[in-house]
Amino acid sequence: MRRRIFEALGFAVVMTVLAAFVQSAASGQAPAAGGAAGSTTSGNAKAGPPPHTPWGQPDLQGIWLDEFDTPFERPAQYADKEFFTEDERKARDEKTAADAGRNERANRGTAQDVAGAYNAVFTSAKPTGRRTSLVVDPSNGRIPPLTPEAQERNRIDQEFRLALLQNTPTCKNQAAGCRGGKYGPPSPRLNDMAPFYNTQRMNRHNGPEDQSMGDRCMLGTTPDFNGFRRIVQGPNVIAIGIDTGQGQGYQRIVYLGGSHPPKSVHLRHGDSRGRFEGQTLVVETTNFSPKFPYRGAGENLTLVERFTRLDAKTLEYSATMTDATLWTAPWTVKQELTMQSDEQNRIYYEPRCHEGNYGLPSLLVGARLDDKAFREGKGPNPASRDTATCVNELPAEREN
Amino acid sequence: MAGMLRGSTIVTALVAAALGAGAAALTMRGGEQAARPAGARTAEGRPDFSGVWQAMNEAHWDLQAHEARPAIVTQPGVYEYEYARVPAAPVLALGAAGGVPGSMGVVQGDGQIPYKPEALAVKQENAANWIDRDPELKCYLPGIPRAMYMPYPFAIVQGTDKIQMTFAFSNAARVIHMNKVEGPPDDTYMGHSVGRWEGDTLVVDVTNFNGKNWLDRAGNYHSDALHLVERFTAISQDAIRYDVTIDDPKTFTRQWSISMPLYRRLEPNATVLDYNCIEFAEEFMYGNLRKEPLVKHWEGETMIVDITRKIPPGEKLHEWYRR
Repeated sequence: MRRRIFEALGFAVVMTVLAAFVQSAASGQAPAAGGAAGSTTSGNAKAGPPPHTPWGQPDLQGIWLDEFDTPFERPAQYADKEFFTEDERKARDEKTAADAGRNERANRGTAQDVAGAYNAVFTSAKPTGRRTSLVVDPSNGRIPPLTPEAQERNRIDQEFRLALLQNTPTCKNQAAGCRGGKYGPPSPRLNDMAPFYNTQRMNRHNGPEDQSMGDRCMLGTTPDFNGFRRIVQGPNVIAIGIDTGQGQGYQRIVYLGGSHPPKSVHLRHGDSRGRFEGQTLVVETTNFSPKFPYRGAGENLTLVERFTRLDAKTLEYSATMTDATLWTAPWTVKQELTMQSDEQNRIYYEPRCHEGNYGLPSLLVGARLDDKAFREGKGPNPASRDTATCVNELPAEREN
Repeated sequence: MAGMLRGSTIVTALVAAALGAGAAALTMRGGEQAARPAGARTAEGRPDFSGVWQAMNEAHWDLQAHEARPAIVTQPGVYEYEYARVPAAPVLALGAAGGVPGSMGVVQGDGQIPYKPEALAVKQENAANWIDRDPELKCYLPGIPRAMYMPYPFAIVQGTDKIQMTFAFSNAARVIHMNKVEGPPDDTYMGHSVGRWEGDTLVVDVTNFNGKNWLDRAGNYHSDALHLVERFTAISQDAIRYDVTIDDPKTFTRQWSISMPLYRRLEPNATVLDYNCIEFAEEFMYGNLRKEPLVKHWEGETMIVDITRKIPPGEKLHEWYRR
């Protein structure tokens, strides 16, 4: 039963990728077209000048998507090189297409075979973009190092997660999910409170808080660099609907005035205040919640986003993350977003993961049944089973 | 101490579910909303509805006229009269804060909702099983028209070819398409809204409902055949008359309508603060599946809030999902 649950969860993740591809393709702007819709990537000069609203602001409205696959951080071999050559893009696309791993199967009948039963149809990939990384600042394209305090927090957090896994085959086989840990008896920490507010899946299911935010249908965090974004713009306030994470999208409101709430008010997506600087909308977001962190940044995060309409089909977007308690320097991501067909309306703007969340209660029911079976001597110790990283590959069970 | 904290968590959750924390969901500090001249209009000459709005009435409790009640969930008191019932366990701990305020009602005409006989029976069952049936308690998307008069603020952003409404409750939203778009491929909680201007009135057709929403906390409901025609008309720069014609031949014998004002939130720095309630509802929905349940009898001098939640046949969570 548990296997099926994780299959469903894995399926959700995969479907997210698929949905992005299908929606993009259905909009008539298939990624394979490589910017035929007129993005700056293709250098298409026919896209026309950036439009303005009847009240004179740059018009940012529409459905926007990054149609390209770009490494988040720059791979080491590209060092300080910001853009791929056309040959490099082609080579990366060919490599992706030929990646046997996307069609590889584990031994038939094993947990890994069931949990990872998705081939390239499900794990479809966008074509390579021109940037070598979404991170453009620092100039090496890498997120700045964590502060010593943040590194220590991560170490403590990881130590706890590995303790929950240490009696499982994942650690016995030294699979990827146990990296940094070792095999041993069930940990005495099994029922300890997690050292920090948990947002990731762990090898324990004592209650909803042990699950990932995705399992709980609260996956979407700000900023988001993956999903569709629909912008509706008025003179004094701008709405941004984000379609991401298969039914885990969310809404933001950007006020072009007023002020942030008191610091004690934490909001899942922060409080956004914007202003136009020339042709660019600059949005500052603060008041983030420690419960919905972006890469570990919560209440101390200041996010500054810039939206600039480059032409009729292209929106340049950048986001600068500053959190001195987490990163040793601010860093910036940049994307060129391509306008999608409004008439086809192919975004999923009603996030209803929670309304159909069979997975979470089923998973908790399964865990309670496992507890009961173990108590009654009818099942294995739940601590000896990996029910958190089972979509990871176990080398011992690979066919080749 | 731990017990007291748990108790306060329970009460907080109950207050949130039963009362709605909308009044607290708005900041009153900082700058000021821009002053608006009478009859403010957009650059395109349309009435300007942009801003932060909220209904101020009791329709979210019950669309129909009703007298005040001691609680939304009651049990027989010392008298056998219906009007003498007392609060039941789930809201008992809230005292006078757990009651339902009276209302003149928002249903137009004779004030009656023209249910088919079999649909009326469902409505009455809904009311009797409110805790286990009302989607609001689970933090599900509230649907239209219910989202428009829940006790939480919402923002209207008036774009050039879309009008977006973003609601505090559940981070829900609706996009009113003023231009031609394809309909959604599946039915929805929040409906598919297509708008047009009739003079200075914004008229919105709403279809493609999945039939899983309610209209209020009294068990009033509709099916997937629901078709709404909403009319937004400026009463002043700070008030909109919101009229809705409700057509659902599977549930009602005829069309009927509701009408109410929506008010601009005039506080300085009016801001819609998300009421992201999924996590608030987790204890309610999944608390019984914890390894160590949080709700239990307390000991010693600490107050015991003994909540007996007997879920009737057919209303368990997994059965709910199958509807």
